[in-house]
Amino acid sequence: MKSLFKFFSSLKLTVVLLTFSMMLIFFGTLDQVQYGIWHTQKLYFESFLAIWAYPAQAPAYDQLFWLRIPMLGGYSLGALLFFNLIAAHITRFKMTWKKCGIFLIHFGLILLLVSELLTDLLAEESQMPVDEGGRSNYSQSYRDNELVLIDRSHPDYDSVHAIPASLLKPGKRIDLPNTDLSIRTISYYPNAEIGRATNGAPTDSPATRGISVRMGLVASPKAVTYAEGEMNTTTAFVEVLNSEASLGVWLVSNVIDERFPPQIVEAGDNAWEIALRFQRQYYPFELELIDFSHDKYPGTEIPFNYSSEVKVHHQDSTKNQKALIYMNHPLRYEGFTFYQASFANQDTTSIFQVVRNPGWLLPYISVLLMGLGMCVQFGMHFVGFLKKRR
Amino acid sequence: MLLSITRILSVPALLLILTGCERDEPTSYLIPKEDRNVTMPGAVAEPTKQAPAASGGSMQVLPGMEQAANQTGEVRYTVPEGWEELAASGIRKANLKVTNANGSAELTVLAFPGDVGGRLANINRWRGQIGLAATTPEALPEFTESYTISGHGGLYMRIDGGAQSILGALLPFHGNTWFFKLLGDSETVLANETAMKAFLDSVQLPDDNH
Repeated sequence: MKSLFKFFSSLKLTVVLLTFSMMLIFFGTLDQVQYGIWHTQKLYFESFLAIWAYPAQAPAYDQLFWLRIPMLGGYSLGALLFFNLIAAHITRFKMTWKKCGIFLIHFGLILLLVSELLTDLLAEESQMPVDEGGRSNYSQSYRDNELVLIDRSHPDYDSVHAIPASLLKPGKRIDLPNTDLSIRTISYYPNAEIGRATNGAPTDSPATRGISVRMGLVASPKAVTYAEGEMNTTTAFVEVLNSEASLGVWLVSNVIDERFPPQIVEAGDNAWEIALRFQRQYYPFELELIDFSHDKYPGTEIPFNYSSEVKVHHQDSTKNQKALIYMNHPLRYEGFTFYQASFANQDTTSIFQVVRNPGWLLPYISVLLMGLGMCVQFGMHFVGFLKKRR
Repeated sequence: MLLSITRILSVPALLLILTGCERDEPTSYLIPKEDRNVTMPGAVAEPTKQAPAASGGSMQVLPGMEQAANQTGEVRYTVPEGWEELAASGIRKANLKVTNANGSAELTVLAFPGDVGGRLANINRWRGQIGLAATTPEALPEFTESYTISGHGGLYMRIDGGAQSILGALLPFHGNTWFFKLLGDSETVLANETAMKAFLDSVQLPDDNH
């Protein structure tokens, strides 16, 4: 136990861990070229172990294709640094007024490490496109999909039954909550090409109902893309069962969306619309886009300002509010932050990034603490120095 | 000392447990009625004003569809007098605009493989776009008529929706369906019926099947 504690409190460990962190950032940056920022973050920083492989595009790949460099991932390094800092504190630092600056700096640093982990675990990001004059009460994920069955029979509300796409494993059967239905995945493709079967060619589509049969659509798997601005056409063939009886197999995909007539699952007197779509989050309020402006420098195509004038309509009308969202001026509302992210349709649709991060204040607090600590520490040295000179 | 170590260790352990809790599972919830023209047994198809913006508005073109739409070839036509031709883009085969003192309207021409859900589903989709309720097959003759476009039998329709209206045509054409739709302010749309028919008469589709 004692030797373990000695190991964790060693400053040599700090130096080694910081070196490993630099390595991780270096190789992570190299891999960002082929994987894009999101996937690289997952591979290198939100993992315990990362393995860098010699990239196929690099020179002399034929000789060096076997080269792999394993290294500690962000979680491991963060946790080790966290223990190291605390253990070092316990062994070395005595809580005296002289050291309170250093203590503040270290506490700020620990808080920063913790807040990064909290952000990583708890923060949620999604997108909300709104047309000018239109309203939206939901945002959608950029990457995660869900299979939904929606019962629209009630005149006042729709009831949505959703299964995250990560649960769609071929052969696996999942009960749909609050219904008698269950879903069995026949096949699931994270990315696919959907096209029409060419005339005469045999169609190997397992679908027995819906759009695939009606339009002769088939799906073939494709490599997952990580490129920014490209989307994965997540596609699945799912069988819907009512207790034990099969109701048919449908082709669902996140590109078969509202532009197409809905695919309907019928069982007796009940009917559900079935779809695979980007995971949605609904809010108890609606965001109305009153006006989107995209100002350019006169005579050029260079933008100097994007802004969205919005009004929030809450179910509780005392919470209604107007806001102007633009660069560095997001709207913070009910624990959500709405940033101006993008626009579409000849400047008539504004796209907001919706972020919920319960720990958003922590980095500010930790930076303040560290700044304060530095001021105290250097201030004391400075005062001491001035006293000596006299 | 040992106590303090256990305390230190307990913090990340707690966080790890928290991550473990955040597992994906099926859920079920109610949402305010959405504007989706679905005819369901026993359902009251009543369009609400809470149209989610993502539907219809944002044009995200399906990869396979654009390819399929491109296979249908180019359309030739004469632009009616006073109409303005806009650039065709993405899956749009043609895009025209007409403006008069009472408003404006836009004509789009699209082509998709198959019957795209059938005649009734498409007509109801259009009706939904101008805030009308879904119709039944029996009511179709009231506002539709057969119409010949590029030497093939199609269906012409006049959908008067109050503020906005549609003059449209559907044309099944060698395995594809062509959609011609003039949508906009009612007074502009309905005043241009002669021009719309003249446009449809001028349409020439690429035809290698005869």
